[in-house]
Amino acid sequence: MKDKNIIRVGFIGNPNCGKTTLFNAYTGANLKVANWPGVTVEKKEGNIDYHGHSINLIDLPGIYSLTSYSIEEKVSRQCIMDDEVDVLVNVVDASSLERNLYLTLQLLELGKPVVLALNMMDVVEERGMEIDLHRLPEMLGDIPVVPVSARKRTGLDVLMHAVVHHFEEMHVADIMRYDAHIEDMIDRLEQNIAKQDPAAQNLRWRAVKLLEKDDEVCALYPAIYSEIVDRDYSEDIIKAKYDYIDEIAEETLFNKDKKSANTDKVDRILTHRFWGIPIFLVIMALVFFLTFTVGDAIKGLFEIGIGWFSDAVFKGLSAIHAADWLVSLIVDGIIAGVGGILTFLPNIFILFLALAFLEDSGYMSRVAYVMDGIMGKVGVSGKGFLPMILGFGCTVPAVMASRTLENESDRRRIIMCTPFMSCSARLPVYILFSEMFFPKYAMLVSFSLYILGVVVAILMALILNLFDRHKGGNTLLIELPEYKTPNARTIAVYVWEKVKDYLTKAGTTIFIASIVIWIVLNFGPRGMTLDVSQSFGAIIGKWLVPVLRPAGLGMWQIAVALISGISAKEVVVSSMSVLFGVGNAASAEGMTQFASILGSYGFGAVNAYAFMVFCLLYTPCVATLATIRKETHSVWFTVRTLLLQLVIAWLAAVIVYQIGSRIF
Amino acid sequence: MTLNNAKKGCKYSITDITADEKIMKRLEALGFIRGTSITVLNKKKYGAVIIKVRGTRMALGKAITQGIAVTEASYEG
Repeated sequence: MKDKNIIRVGFIGNPNCGKTTLFNAYTGANLKVANWPGVTVEKKEGNIDYHGHSINLIDLPGIYSLTSYSIEEKVSRQCIMDDEVDVLVNVVDASSLERNLYLTLQLLELGKPVVLALNMMDVVEERGMEIDLHRLPEMLGDIPVVPVSARKRTGLDVLMHAVVHHFEEMHVADIMRYDAHIEDMIDRLEQNIAKQDPAAQNLRWRAVKLLEKDDEVCALYPAIYSEIVDRDYSEDIIKAKYDYIDEIAEETLFNKDKKSANTDKVDRILTHRFWGIPIFLVIMALVFFLTFTVGDAIKGLFEIGIGWFSDAVFKGLSAIHAADWLVSLIVDGIIAGVGGILTFLPNIFILFLALAFLEDSGYMSRVAYVMDGIMGKVGVSGKGFLPMILGFGCTVPAVMASRTLENESDRRRIIMCTPFMSCSARLPVYILFSEMFFPKYAMLVSFSLYILGVVVAILMALILNLFDRHKGGNTLLIELPEYKTPNARTIAVYVWEKVKDYLTKAGTTIFIASIVIWIVLNFGPRGMTLDVSQSFGAIIGKWLVPVLRPAGLGMWQIAVALISGISAKEVVVSSMSVLFGVGNAASAEGMTQFASILGSYGFGAVNAYAFMVFCLLYTPCVATLATIRKETHSVWFTVRTLLLQLVIAWLAAVIVYQIGSRIF
Repeated sequence: MTLNNAKKGCKYSITDITADEKIMKRLEALGFIRGTSITVLNKKKYGAVIIKVRGTRMALGKAITQGIAVTEASYEG
């Protein structure tokens, strides 16, 4: 298993210290980074060559300690314990050295080679802080200490050189000592562990963990534990480490108080007791305003391009006398479906650009504090709001981000509520239908759906809270990083990844869904048919018509579009274009034509709003369901979530339609 | 007194912590132990706070701040 020629390097450090940025800098990978703790929740691997050495880099989730109380800690600790890494690169945020060194001291006790990467040295310099780079390694048992800036990509070669060198030397650091009584016990514990378990490495670490009454290690050596350890020494051990860190800070850090004045000033406004929430709402409103106005301006160009392309293909295919069915498949099926979706790319782009800005600036973790009061009323800490905001982008990572919540039942509640937040895939549905049926108020109508999504999500959390017997209490605990100017590269990577996802989705899921829809509409029990009402699609859709009628959606075409939308929400739009034979639905003529076709079925503004509400609230996509199942390890929970979404969507649409159609 | 009753802008020293084990371990890892000094940067009426501890800003919810006993440590300036 263990290949001698490959050096396995684990990147380990506190949350939000830049491990992933550093990992990306080495591997050229584009893993997501953001300026709030807990972005990386799984370990990621990548390979590089460095001067003839093959190096396997492993990016581990951020942890504060080597205990095993959170999922992140378990993942990282498991990886180190199972001997999956040869060298540990301890990435530390140099601008917050005091806190970061606590993990460092624990890593040193492991007896594995550790290289300290002092990240964010540029920030340290900017703030006028100074670190004594000569004294620091001395106090850490002479391990290599390498200043790097993952963002500016400096110090990378030096760090990798230190890794290779340190691996070959197998130099193990000499570490801090506890008081005589504890050291004496550590000695005895080490001897006993070595006797019972001759293969065990990192004896000292195991001994210390026994003194700290660590569940996992105690379970390995119950006899030794009860023979030697008379009480829980964790507080003494933590105190000794922090006392030592105070000593290090005293000797190596200078001008450290200069650094935080600016963040304090900004926080005074953004986390203000009264203004905090209104400011947050204004920021979100601004994000959607930009998404609509700027996005729509660019969208016009896309429409012209796709309209021209569609015509050219049609003419080309006609010129070579392609079979009618083939022309229909390509022009009415694929181009209408995929092309329709591509026109919304500019809106998606602007939305993610704005979200990337917010995430990289450091504002996100403040939102957890600002929203803590409201979230507290529904029984979750403000941290539970972070996955929900991420849900504005995409539900899949949002569901995964719920891992940062401490309490399992809180986590499940948030997972159930997050899909109600309006993700970017629903945007094309709103843009198309609100511009068709509410031309003057399109932006307002769309914004109302976003608000409705938030309200339903929070109400749902409230209701679930009433039925939940395992309440976690308000245990908000989150680090607030210093504000920083968003980094152009980080944002470019983030946005490009999202745009790529969208294009990939258009090329795969939506492409296939468009073909399937075309087939379903052009074939019936008697083979290929020109009469859509005899097609499979019509037959399937008609079953659902009675169910959807109270919601004003009693058309078989809509039933088919909604079913297809479970593959991905954008497919609702592409299917509608294919179903109603509108080539370029997003363009001005396309919309007029589309609205008049729908109008001829008696489908008006109230129906359109009920339709958008249904799209907002029902199952976002198959990928979300798969993620929920993976995260909760429960098929039953996933099925319940799915049923809940369908019932809520139906109820809400019925209420909207029944009330709306009586008023208007 | 406990941290949820602390005053904005004041400096305190931790005298005792009560919390369930999971939260306790996390607080310990962040250096919240007896004698640690805390500066309260911001506070909401119901008891959530933003504090600075060992050079790091943290936001803490009510359930946590209620379990952190503190004394005013003005002499540390």
